Parts: sequence; C-alpha cells; structure tokens
Amino acid sequence: MSKENASSAPKKKEFFLLRWIRRAFFPNKELDIYAEEQLQSPFRVVVKNFFSMPIAVAALFIFICVALFVFIAPHYVTLDLGEQDSTLVSLAPGYDMMNYPRELVENGVADISVGPNYSIGVDQNGTVYVWGKSKVTKIIDIADIPDEIREAKIVQVAAGSDHAVALAEDGTIYCWGNKRLGQTDLPFELQANNRNHRLAILDIQASNQFSSALTEDGQLYLWGNTNFVDLDVRTQLQGHIKGVALTMNAFVVLLDDGSVQNAGYTASSTVTKVPENAQSDVVAIAGSTNSVAALKTDGSVVVWGATTKGENLVPTFDSPAVEIEGGRYHYVARLASGELVAWGGNRYKQCEVPEEAQECGVIRVFSGSFQNYALDSEGKLHAWGLKGFILGTDTLGRDVFARLVNGGKMTMTIGAVSVIIQMIIGVILGGLAGYFGGAVDMIIMRIAEVVSSMPFIPFAMILSAVLGTKVTIEQRMYIIMVILGVLSWPSLCRLVRAQMFAQREMEYVVAAKTLGVKESKIIFSQIIPNVMSVCLVSITLAFGTSMLTESTLSYLGFGVPLPTPTWGNMLTGANNSLIIQSYWWNWVFVGAIFGITCICINLIGDGLRDALDPKTSGR
Amino acid sequence: MRKYLIKRFAYLVVVFFVVSLMMYAIYNLIPSDPALVQMEPLRKTLKPDEWTAQYLQLRTKLGLDQPLLVRYARWMGFMKDVDGTFSGLLQGNFGYSVSYKRPVVDIIGTPMLNTILLNFISTILTLAITIPLGIYCAVHARSAGDSAIQAGTVVGYSLPTYLVGILFIYIFAVLLRWLPTGGAKTPGSTYTGTREFLDRLYYMALPVLVLVFTGLAGMTRTVRAAMMDTLSQDYIRTARAKGLREKVVVYSHAWRNALLPVSTSIMGWMISVFTGGSLVIETTFSLNGTGRLYWSALNTTDYELVLAMQMFYTLVSLVGVLLTDLSYTLVDPRVRIDK
Repeated sequence: MSKENASSAPKKKEFFLLRWIRRAFFPNKELDIYAEEQLQSPFRVVVKNFFSMPIAVAALFIFICVALFVFIAPHYVTLDLGEQDSTLVSLAPGYDMMNYPRELVENGVADISVGPNYSIGVDQNGTVYVWGKSKVTKIIDIADIPDEIREAKIVQVAAGSDHAVALAEDGTIYCWGNKRLGQTDLPFELQANNRNHRLAILDIQASNQFSSALTEDGQLYLWGNTNFVDLDVRTQLQGHIKGVALTMNAFVVLLDDGSVQNAGYTASSTVTKVPENAQSDVVAIAGSTNSVAALKTDGSVVVWGATTKGENLVPTFDSPAVEIEGGRYHYVARLASGELVAWGGNRYKQCEVPEEAQECGVIRVFSGSFQNYALDSEGKLHAWGLKGFILGTDTLGRDVFARLVNGGKMTMTIGAVSVIIQMIIGVILGGLAGYFGGAVDMIIMRIAEVVSSMPFIPFAMILSAVLGTKVTIEQRMYIIMVILGVLSWPSLCRLVRAQMFAQREMEYVVAAKTLGVKESKIIFSQIIPNVMSVCLVSITLAFGTSMLTESTLSYLGFGVPLPTPTWGNMLTGANNSLIIQSYWWNWVFVGAIFGITCICINLIGDGLRDALDPKTSGR
Repeated sequence: MRKYLIKRFAYLVVVFFVVSLMMYAIYNLIPSDPALVQMEPLRKTLKPDEWTAQYLQLRTKLGLDQPLLVRYARWMGFMKDVDGTFSGLLQGNFGYSVSYKRPVVDIIGTPMLNTILLNFISTILTLAITIPLGIYCAVHARSAGDSAIQAGTVVGYSLPTYLVGILFIYIFAVLLRWLPTGGAKTPGSTYTGTREFLDRLYYMALPVLVLVFTGLAGMTRTVRAAMMDTLSQDYIRTARAKGLREKVVVYSHAWRNALLPVSTSIMGWMISVFTGGSLVIETTFSLNGTGRLYWSALNTTDYELVLAMQMFYTLVSLVGVLLTDLSYTLVDPRVRIDK
C-alpha cells in the first residue's frame, strides 16, 4: 500500500483535467504486466479503460462542452421572462435584418423606410430594394415587388406592418403586401390621381395596416384597416396640414400654424391628447408605437403618449435638433452639428449610435422598429440596431437562443439535483438494507417495491398538479426536482444493496468489524466508496433519465411552468404541422441539442459500464 | 406454486391498497370543499348563524367531517357510505366526472379500447422486429451491420418520445404527406365496418410507428446483450463442437436461455409504454386514449376522474410486475417457486 501511495504521489499534483486529457490522447507507455498490477488501483483501471474508448471520450467531451455552454452562456444571454413583442413573432434565424443591398448605396440612397422586421430602400435611379425578414405570411412576401413598381421611377417608400407603399416620380402611389384588410384600397382621390397625376404628393407613410399620403396643398389622405384607427380626417383641418405622424393605432397632424392637432374625430388614444408645449412652434413630428415626438423651432423635442421604455426622457442636446425619427420604442434626433442622439428602449442596442456615424457628418437618418440607418455626406450608410436573432424567435416573439440557453441550464440543474436526491436516498437505504439484511432489508425493499410499482409519469403528473398549485414558479421547480428524486431511487437502492451483499463478507469489512469500527462508519466510509464506482453507471444513466422525465413532464404541462423555459416546455406547442413545417426553428435547435445531450449521456454511461466490466477489458 | 401465487396475490392487494390510500391522501390535499360549493349561493339569503348551521349539517350529510381513513374506506367501499349502502370503488362506483357530467365508468370505455389497441399493435410489431434484430446483432456482433444498428438504437432510446413524435410528424406527415398529423378518424366521416377499422388504423399508423421506433431501440439492446451473454457460455461452444447447425445453436440452444432476461424487460417495457409512453403519444397526436383522458382530466382539475385513472394505472403496473415474476417460471424451468 505504502509503495503504491509513494509512486502515485507526485502525479497527484497534476490538475485532473490535464491528466485526463493527457491520458486520453497521449497514453502512458505500456508497462509490463507486473509493474501495472502494482501501480494501478481499480479506479485507475476504469479510468484508463474508459479513456481508451474513443466514442465514449468524444461523448464526454461533447457533454462537457454542452454543460459548460449551458451554464456559462446564461450569464451573457440574459432572459427577460416577461419579454414578448408582437412585431417580432416567428422570425426565421439569421442576422440579415440590416443587410442592405450594395447597389442601393452605390446608386445613391433616395429614401429608406423601416418596417417591423424588414426595410425598403429606393435609390436615385428609382429602383426599390427590400431586405430583412420580409415574409408576412407563408404566401405574402414584401420582397415580391410587383412589376409595375419595378418599372416605375420610385422616389419615396413607406414600410407598414404587413404592407408597403411606394410613391413614383409622377405622383402615382403603389401598394403591395397583405391586401386582406384594405391596406391597398386607395381613397377615391388618389385612385384618380394615379390616372391623371393632378395632385402633388409630398409625403407617404405607412404604419400598422394603414397608410397616409400628404399633398403639397395640405390635404391628408388615409387608408387601410379601420379596426385599429378611425381614418376620417376633420374637414376643417384639410388644406392646412404640413406633416403627419402615425403610431400603431392613432395619428396626429402638424398644421401650418406650427401646432400639433388630433385630426381625427375620436380622441381615444393618449397620443391624441397633445400637450400645451406642442401646440405651437413645431416644425416636424415623428411617431413611435404609442407616442409622438415633436421637434420645435428652438431645436428641442417634446414627447407625449404612452411611453413605457423611457421614450419621454429626452436627453439634453449640445446643439439644436433638426430632424427627428421614431422607432418602435425609441427616437433618434439629428442635431445641427451632425451628431445623432438616440433615446428610449435599448434592448436591441437600437440607441447605441456607432462612432463612425457620429464622425462622418450625417445628413439624413432613417429609423423604425429596432433598426436605424444614417446616411452621411459621402453617401455611405451606417446601420445599427437589431440585426436579427441567431436562432429566430418563437410564436410569442421571444428569442429562441436565449430560451434555449436558459432552458438548458434549468433542465440540467433539475436533472442533476434530482439525481443527487435519488442518490442520497438510494445509497443510504440500499446500504442499510444490504448491510443489515433481515427485517431492515425486508422493510426497505418493500418500500422500494411500492415506490417502483407506482406508474411513474402519471404519478409525477398528479403530484406536480396537486402540490404545485399554490406555489411560486421557483418553489414549483424544487417540487419537480424532489418528485423526480423521490420517485426514482429504488433502482439505485437495489444496486447498492446487491453490491453490499457481496462486499460485507469481504476481509476488509471483517477486519474493520474486528477492530471495533462503528457500523455506520463501516457502511458509509468503508464499503460505499468501493461500491460507488459500480453505481457510477447507474447515476450517469439516471441523470439522462431525469432530464428526459423532466422534459416530458414539462412538455405535458406538468413540469416547470411557462414562461420559465426548459428544453421540454419549449417543445410544448411544437406538435402542430404549422410550427413543424413553417416555423421549424421553434423545435429543431432545442430538439437537436437535447437529443445530442441525451445521446452523449447514454454513451458515457455505456462507456463506463464497459470500462467497469472486466469481461470486456480483454484479460 | 399455488402457495407462491397466493402470496404474490396477497402482496399485490396490500400494495394496491397502500398506494390507493396514498393517492387518496394526496387527492385530499387539494383544498376543495363540495359542501362550501353547494352552500355558497345561499350565503346571502340566510342569516350567518343559520347558514353556518346548515353548512355543518351538509358537511355531516356528505360525510366530509369524518377523518381521512373513514372517508377512504367509504370511497373504497369497505364501509357503508352516508346513505347506508356500500358504493365505493370495489362496488364499481368510480366516481363522477365533473367535466363530462357523467359517471367515470361511462367515460373510460372508449379511450381504454383505443389505448389497448394502440399498445397491442405496437407491441406485436416491436417484438416481431426487435427479436430477430437483436439476435442478428448478437450473432454478428461488432460487424458493420451490428455497429450501424447499435448507433441507431443509442439514438432511439436517448431521444424523448415526444421529440421522436415531432420528428416523425415532420417526416411522414409534413414532408412525405403519407399519414395524418393527428386525430382518431377522418373528420366528418361516417364509415362503418371494415372501412371504419381501416380508417382507424390509418390514423393510428404514425403513433404506432413512433412507439415501435422508441421501443425498438431499448429492446434490441436488451435482446442483443442477453444473446451475447448466452452465446459466450460453454454449452454453446459444446453445441458447436458437436457439429450442430448454427441455426439450431442460435435459436434452440441460445435463444431459449436468453429469453429469461428478455421476458422481464419486455414486461417492464410494456408497463412503461402503457402508462408513460402512450400518455405522451396520445397527447402529441391528440388520440382519444386513456393517457389523453388522464392528461385532460388533470388539466381541467377533474379529480375524481384522475383518481379513478390513477387507480387503473396502479393496477396495470402491479399486475405487470406480477406477470413478470410469473413469466420467469414459464420460460425458465430452472426457476422453481415452491417456497
């Protein structure tokens, strides 16, 4: 014994992972059989056997990678449980939302309009470009620009939530995209104008299924879906309108006397209650989701409406603002000095103006949704904001990647904790039953049989349903861990008991007894360590099983409740053909990583079993 | 043998009552008071002390004031119920479903038939495939075919059933459009006779496929391991040395002896499929089976139905364990139980 300890002592200083890697990839020189017998403890033989199996080692490596990823990444990819956005629903994976075409910049940008997840640009030649996630439904795609628009010379574009509007040089207005709710039904006057080109149209805008067109002589035309907004303009204001701002469900106008007015007949929205300081000296207005910003002659900005993400906290400007643009939850102001100032919601970094855009002397800025484009004096475009989602978003507009990472952490934690619980119960009860035998054994094994004869999934479901009704999400998670642990210990208990039966007759136990060592000490510090290596296989496989069971429970809706993600409940809604086919990213990634993890755990378990089994070691 | 059977049966009965008592206790953790539900509308019309008196009277009438054990005994049918008759589980009164507004007995017939049909077909198919496959793998151990099948089985038994379900819907229903995504029959169809049966099989095909695939993986590994164990025995070498044909050695000498561990795991597997696997499958494919019934009953907090179903599941798994033990004696004459 002492010889063995002396020879292995210097090696212990090496860090265990390094040692494993060295052993896995650079095995020791072959020792002659006597030296080997002397040097290697059974545990070391197992480790050596295990690392001689390439598949098991690869599985271990992948599993460690997944585990590290799942436990480290949540520190960087934080999850806001309440987060969801109706405009970001079911987006395909990819970072292409700000990939504007090169030709647009080469030919000179004439106009850009930012829609919810796509953008439209038009160059100086009048060619229209669409980029980003332009698919509205399975059939309707904004990127399918009608031929008449391709042929026309377009000067202005406007991107709505599911439709787009373009203004040609001759004053013709084109609409395309979703037509079901009247998004493309131009008012009578504009239809006539498309034929005779009498009106001089100054500005077009598009919002949530409705659009506006403003003529040079102050006439405002609105059309689209009237379910969100009453599209009638007060007749006495017509002819005096200089500008218009559209929000998701309201609109206000800027009159030629410099005041902002509610131009509709209804005043239901907070946006239409224009504050005092926006009643005069306003030069430009811009709309956001539920708020409006007005730029005044002195270069200051006033924001009103329902502001939830700090849109109303206008920063102080170094020089007067000359242009204002609104996104979904933010505003961007261009100052006279060429500097850009952005404020409001900054979840997707839409307020972080890049350095080079600040320095280049921006002449125009285009904002909308979560993206911004700044055009500088050299004709270059600077874009910032939401690029897209690497794994897409789910049916509630939540980032699949963030949920995948945080859900993995949850699933693995629950799996690990429940394994620890079942290990504690199983080892203690199995140890007692195996060591003492007789009546203790009888009682413990009967209990184990009762527990294992209960149907697992249905029983776990009812326990979770009954115990989990009046508790917080966090408590419910602990309940799930305990349920899984408490219901699955019998198999480990049986294994430990069987091993105990064999071990308790061994010489070292007899010696310990003769020496008068306490029985509890014999069991738990003499025998159990010898048994643990055999239990390792069972524990590894139990970890996989616990993860599977947790995810199955969550999938059925009786595990960790939504919105807390786990790999199981992320797949809950995935059993319908629409999601399976059209929104494949909702299930493919989480299914893949979960599948790979489970396969790896099973391969590790198999590898350990082979490593422990002397039959396979070839001697 | 008879003594053993009686002992086992008595044990089963005891365990069943222990589990049912536990279930009943858990069921009683739910804070629900039928008397309060009945009396709540009367709270405004009666004076407070009058109302309290009536409420307490109703509680006595419904037997709610009795201790848990008494209520359990009444529910089980050991004791006379409040109306003076035995009307518990043992007398065939499984309770009353709140969501279906019908006695539980009337509800569970059709789903149970569906589940049994689903499990029967998938079990037959799985066994028909897995046994030859496992034997093939064991006989040709470490060949290319064996390695491929081994890789497939690792994938098969690692993936959760619902994931396989989603994957198969994608492949067979969405991509290939061979099979329907879910449901029990063609909507609006009024088929009869053979046509109806075929239609049902058509709708059951995908769930069966998923169950067979997931079952195949674990079972093939078991059969392979058992066969490899047996094939390494000395008597197999002797049989080969005698010059017996390989077929006789494999199927007559080895397979019979390998059947013992296999039969145990077959029973265990069938129980887990019947209780857990088909539950997931039925919810995934919206099949009207016991699993889905149980799931929807839990979701609608229809606890009398849940309790009855739970008892059914417990009985199934207990009988399964008993059958496993008995199957030892059937397949292996070495196991004698005269104790």
